[in-house]
Amino acid sequence: MAITRADFPLPDVSDDLVAGYFFGAAAGEVRIPRCSACDRWCWYPEAACPGCGGELVWTATTGRATLFSWAVVWRAFLPAFADIVPFVTALVALEEEPSIRLVTMIIDVSSESLVADMPVEAVFRPLRFPTVPDREVIVPMFRPIEAVS
Amino acid sequence: MDDGPEWGHATEFGDIAGQVAIVGIGETAYTRASGRSAREIGAEAAERAITDCGLAPGDIDGLTYSAAFADFDVAAFHDHFGTSHEMWSSPWGGGMSWAGTAPYLAAKAIERGDARHVLNVFPVAWASQRGGMTGGPGEVHASQSLKQNLEVPFGWFPQPVYFATIMRRHMIEFGTKPEHFGAVAVAARWNANRNPDAVMHGKKMDLDDYAAAPMLAEPLRLFDSCLISDGGAAYVTASLDRARDLPHPPVVVQGVGEGISGSGQHWSQQRPFTSTPQVFSAPLAFTMAGLTPRDVDVLAVYDPFTVVTIMQIEDMGFCRKGEGGPFVEEVSLWWNGEGLPCNTHGGLLSHAYVLGIAHVVELVKQLRETASAQVYDCEVGVYGGYTGMHASTLVLTVDR
Ligand SMILES: [Zn+2]
Repeated sequence: MAITRADFPLPDVSDDLVAGYFFGAAAGEVRIPRCSACDRWCWYPEAACPGCGGELVWTATTGRATLFSWAVVWRAFLPAFADIVPFVTALVALEEEPSIRLVTMIIDVSSESLVADMPVEAVFRPLRFPTVPDREVIVPMFRPIEAVS
Repeated sequence: MDDGPEWGHATEFGDIAGQVAIVGIGETAYTRASGRSAREIGAEAAERAITDCGLAPGDIDGLTYSAAFADFDVAAFHDHFGTSHEMWSSPWGGGMSWAGTAPYLAAKAIERGDARHVLNVFPVAWASQRGGMTGGPGEVHASQSLKQNLEVPFGWFPQPVYFATIMRRHMIEFGTKPEHFGAVAVAARWNANRNPDAVMHGKKMDLDDYAAAPMLAEPLRLFDSCLISDGGAAYVTASLDRARDLPHPPVVVQGVGEGISGSGQHWSQQRPFTSTPQVFSAPLAFTMAGLTPRDVDVLAVYDPFTVVTIMQIEDMGFCRKGEGGPFVEEVSLWWNGEGLPCNTHGGLLSHAYVLGIAHVVELVKQLRETASAQVYDCEVGVYGGYTGMHASTLVLTVDR
């Protein structure tokens, strides 16, 4: 079960189950699978709607969310993160469906100013790791809406 | 947000109260990296458990072990003991949540006549394996593609980071304070200081030491997190009638429960982020046993992180949801604190990270009155197992 993928810990955009998330980010949108039959949002991605079996379609959201919880990571648990600690990893609850939590990073703000349930919005930034040279993937990160002037 | 009961469910268990008892226990040394394989460790734990109940390897006709870490299965048993007899077996035993439900499987196998003496064994060699990413808690998680693609790239990995966010949310929702988490860590260490077998036996720690330790992922500090260890343990279950013929006083299985979260392996999506499936598991186990949390003399909860102790204490009904922080501060978890003695061997935090199997063995010792940190007048012991997705509750009593 050892991980042999050379670009780890970048996401594997060739994985059909999640590719739509990263294509969406590259196009400047937070896209989430939504059932074409019953309109239910589905996260994490699945092969078909867990409610009705309908087809799931990657669907744009507002990209707005609230800050559900976060941690300031000081220890680089993987070598790839050694240069960016401390950083803020977080769960944000999606505006369209707050039971959906996206795992993300909070950027452009000091960790001391973070407040529970504050509104945040997606910004689309390249994720790069020094351990994976010459590769990047554009991902949704989030920042507080108030921080925008 | 709807935190209704549909976020998980309990496994339907038949009533096995008083049918079986734990009759033998065995443990290896608990250490940092030992260089030993999990299979060797499992064999040693098994051998000691079989000896403890006054039986021979050929008498063991049932084996439960871990599907996820199948280091000591029937083939390994026969290979080690040079036996070849028929054995009933199930891979749904071992440690973690299953350390609490293996006695149920044993009771059913015994009831069907498939076995008389069932060994449950769980070895761990993660301290030795962690060097090469050839094993250990992180790799198991990183190997799942959804985690690899949607969690790890954002630094939400490994377990200390998940539980840092669970701690934070518990603090947000309930006002839990750093010193509450510290009280759990200090109690585990106090208990370990009493237990010569604990990895942290000789290392004292108070609340100041806790607060001075480095942040791993704020708000989670070093001592909120469990150890990484080598070691293993095993226990043998038999019918209560059979148990009364064996050398040790029977430790009777009075209640078993299992709860399962509907969010699968994904902590990030669990509806009530600060609850465990113990919510579903504990009520059934206590009902089966005809007991309540008030009757419990000694508790052992799976404690990979301090917040998990607090959440399980709440979810098992020792206090109301959200009051676990003040509870662990005011109601001592110390072995000699006259509150709710909890993880009297030191737990995953300060005894050894052997994933719950030593918790159950400690309860057996407590009920035999042979524990190092012996609780006075101990008649009811309860184990709370946990994996994130699963929880289990095992209610044990003295034979009365
Ligand atoms: Zn649907």
